Amino acid sequence: MGLLKINGKEKIFPDNKMPVTIADLLRHLGVDSTTVVAELEGQIIERKNFSTTPLLAGQTIELVRFVPGG
Amino acid sequence: MDKLVIAGKQFTSRLLIGTGKFSSSKSMAQAIDAAGAQIVTVALRRVDITNKDDDMLSAIDRNKYLLLPNTSGARTADEAIRLARLARAATGINWVKLEVTPDPYYLLPDPIETLKAAEILVKEGFVVLPYINADPILSKKLQDVGTATVMPLASPIGSNQGLKTRAAIEIIIEQANVPVVVDAGLGLPSHAAEAMEMGADAVLVNTAIATAVEPVKMAEAFKLAVAAGRMAYLSGTAAESKKANASSPLTGFLRNE
Repeated sequence: MGLLKINGKEKIFPDNKMPVTIADLLRHLGVDSTTVVAELEGQIIERKNFSTTPLLAGQTIELVRFVPGG
Repeated sequence: MDKLVIAGKQFTSRLLIGTGKFSSSKSMAQAIDAAGAQIVTVALRRVDITNKDDDMLSAIDRNKYLLLPNTSGARTADEAIRLARLARAATGINWVKLEVTPDPYYLLPDPIETLKAAEILVKEGFVVLPYINADPILSKKLQDVGTATVMPLASPIGSNQGLKTRAAIEIIIEQANVPVVVDAGLGLPSHAAEAMEMGADAVLVNTAIATAVEPVKMAEAFKLAVAAGRMAYLSGTAAESKKANASSPLTGFLRNE
């Protein structure tokens, strides 16, 4: 199994379910990737690189999006 | 035609709208439209992965409006810079409303952290619109480091108190060589008109519109007030005096003296 820290919370994946890329993870979470920006280990990952950026167990990822605000 | 120019980009509307606190994305979209706004602010937050509700901002046509991401929630320059970079990655554009508010009670902006973040973001190629207290010296310093505007507050965010900082904003306007956008605390269309009459280049309104009973109507009221205030400013306001000055002739009265 593998563990990812997503938006401050730890999430455990069984070995065969561990997302391989950021795009994979978003699919798994059911999050629409067109509105999301990711920060992996403190590095911003642009949307166009979601499907090519590998995820490794133990990594920290932030998924953010725009919300209404003033 | 009279246009607002920020960082070389022209706008016909001088009313910027914040998208927070609307009861629905529909009323938000309709209010933005009724306001005639061209610049709308948004915030950046963690995706709630346990609640995949619809993306409220999908109601905003990004080809029609310039999305201006803010750095709300930032308490330090570093946090604001991180948010600005994420926002740039999300929008592909480099405009940012810089706000650093360490105090959650009054949400007043931290001048030192704001200046620090502005300097770094400008160097990274951002178009920086800093939210500040109405401080003329800070305004000058921000202009010196290359911010695209200054955005002094009228009164605390969401307080609807109106132009409590009028005297200081007058000095900021007098000294500014970038657009002055009065932001925060404008609770009524008359407050917005007052800021525009003083010579503010634009105003940013959110709470007063979003939490009105009829936000769409209120948005239009603000639009008219901003246009009226601007027109009055361009007309050169008449002088104020202590004593009365008769508007009718003081001769030809129907009386014998």
